[in-house]
Amino acid sequence: MNENETELRVQALVDGELAGTEADELRARIQGDDALRELHARLTAARGLMDGAELPRPLPEPGDFHWSQISEAIEREDRQARRLAKPSTRAGWLLSWLPPLAGAACILLLLTSPSRHDGPPDLGIMLGSDHELELSDDTIDVMTYNTGDDNMSIVWLDFSIDLRPDTLHIWLD
Amino acid sequence: MPRIVNHRMKRLTAMAVALLLAASAHFAAQADPITVEARLVLGTIKEQKDQMEVSAAIKRKLARVFKWKHYYELNSKRINIADAATKSAKLSRAASIKVTNRKNGKVAVSLFSKGKMLVQKTQDLKPSSHMVLAGSTASDSAWFIVISKSK
Repeated sequence: MNENETELRVQALVDGELAGTEADELRARIQGDDALRELHARLTAARGLMDGAELPRPLPEPGDFHWSQISEAIEREDRQARRLAKPSTRAGWLLSWLPPLAGAACILLLLTSPSRHDGPPDLGIMLGSDHELELSDDTIDVMTYNTGDDNMSIVWLDFSIDLRPDTLHIWLD
Repeated sequence: MPRIVNHRMKRLTAMAVALLLAASAHFAAQADPITVEARLVLGTIKEQKDQMEVSAAIKRKLARVFKWKHYYELNSKRINIADAATKSAKLSRAASIKVTNRKNGKVAVSLFSKGKMLVQKTQDLKPSSHMVLAGSTASDSAWFIVISKSK
């Protein structure tokens, strides 16, 4: 037995892979050989260090694990395919025509909207966001005033009006 | 193909929302018929027992801004105006107004004296607010045309 084989057998003994008379003989030989005893002590110490550093072993997976994974994947794809299934031919026709029809309806609505034609004229003086004032006589002095709560807006004209009653009471429609 | 259909659905939804918004804006832009009250008021420091005093609410509002103590209602007109229509009312021998019912709650009032337009005021007239066109007279008093919208 060469030296390498002897070292491998000592390693096997340390690892618990030898038993019976083979192990007893090797132990007796180690006791009588200083070099083998030193090797056995070194390997035993090294094994002791490695015991706590072993990687955890994963639990073995059950036999039907992969089958259940495949089955779930197939069901998931079926559900997705049903959800995104192509609509019927009539629905497809509607989907293809509705967007342009809706767009045309929007344009038509905007073009025929009365607000395009009945917008307020561009009046002369802008008092605020919703107040507009137009003067037709530049010789009349005008002052404007809005109460803080916007409950009353006042246009004061330096102009005297004939307040006498109108005897005819005519509506000027 | 399902991805294309999904994209079309999204586009259709967006177009439908745009259509609804356009339709709502279209209807919101239209004006409802309104009723406007126009009062010709005289403000003076002298009491005039033969004249009818203006309502307490209007007197309080005017007196908060102007110096006159007494406010008398010389004339008042109630005008019903359809959508986008204009109506006129004569308040005195010389003064008349034209009121236009514009969209978005706006009311345009033009004041005429002896047929000549003096001023036109346009504003969003809320039911509780007043538009006042006013001026002085020769005898240290003032005239007011108080426009309000009935609820």
